[in-house]
Amino acid sequence: MDRRRLSLGLLATLSMGFAGLSGTSRAKAAVNKAIKPKRIQVTGEVVDTWCYITEIMFAQGTAHYQCAIWCALGGIPVSVLGKDGTVYMVLRVEDDDTSVANPKLITIQTNEVTVDGDHYVRDGVNYLMVNKIADNKGIINLTQEEYGIQPFGN
Amino acid sequence: MRKILISTALLVIGAMATAEAAEEWGIEFEKKARVEAKVVDIACELSGNCPKNCGDGKRQLGLLMDDDKLVPVVKNFEAFTGATNDLIKYCSKRIVADGLMIDNPKMSMFALQFSKLAKGGKWTRANQFGKDWSKANGGKASGQWFRNDPRVIALIKKNGVFGIPGLKPPAE
Repeated sequence: MDRRRLSLGLLATLSMGFAGLSGTSRAKAAVNKAIKPKRIQVTGEVVDTWCYITEIMFAQGTAHYQCAIWCALGGIPVSVLGKDGTVYMVLRVEDDDTSVANPKLITIQTNEVTVDGDHYVRDGVNYLMVNKIADNKGIINLTQEEYGIQPFGN
Repeated sequence: MRKILISTALLVIGAMATAEAAEEWGIEFEKKARVEAKVVDIACELSGNCPKNCGDGKRQLGLLMDDDKLVPVVKNFEAFTGATNDLIKYCSKRIVADGLMIDNPKMSMFALQFSKLAKGGKWTRANQFGKDWSKANGGKASGQWFRNDPRVIALIKKNGVFGIPGLKPPAE
């Protein structure tokens, strides 16, 4: 009986060990696959990724501010639209490495910012870990005269 | 009689299968897709900074395909909502994701409509955000969550609908 208990205990310990090892392995695998980022500075408007990329509506400037707030709070990724048209999906803002409904990102939605960050490119997507918001000009892209309130007009 | 039963069963199975099939949304570059992949924390995958449980729903999640392609899942099946609430329960697990693969040259992305665990899972519609929002807001219906969310109301009250206090909508 004692031998059986010992065996079960050993089995359980080994299982936990393997489970732990498995978790550690996953982290190590991620680290091993990690891409070396490039330090860059980007200037552009903070936009909602979904509306801008899919063009399901006009998704820049004041006309789209309210919708951009909805989408950011709804957990859709926020991006910085660079002056050259590159869209950088933001995965971290300064010391906060969360990116779903992040209050800092919601606060700067639609703002024209200059950010310093670590740039990763993988499988057709540009990702940006923002280290510092170097400048923020606020909302300067006045599009409401032409486009009203996107998408419903109210 | 047996033939009728078998035919009926096949019809029911067929109907069940199509019930979870993705629908087109008319977006440029979209393709209906049903893929098997692992759910990963994108920031972890890129940088090796890997908190527990893919960041507990506070980080953007993606699908890591068998060919090592990483695709961000940016949208679910509800209005103005992402898919993290739908995917977080699958952190580091293999799932079958049904939805739209959008290979836009500006950014590849996936819009999730249904999902299930790859092994023995049951199809779930990607509408977890609304359920969670409703629970967090006293059981209110989530259909217009974006109009009723207290954070939205506070921000629009403070900044206005255009984000600039005092800027009024154009006269009709």
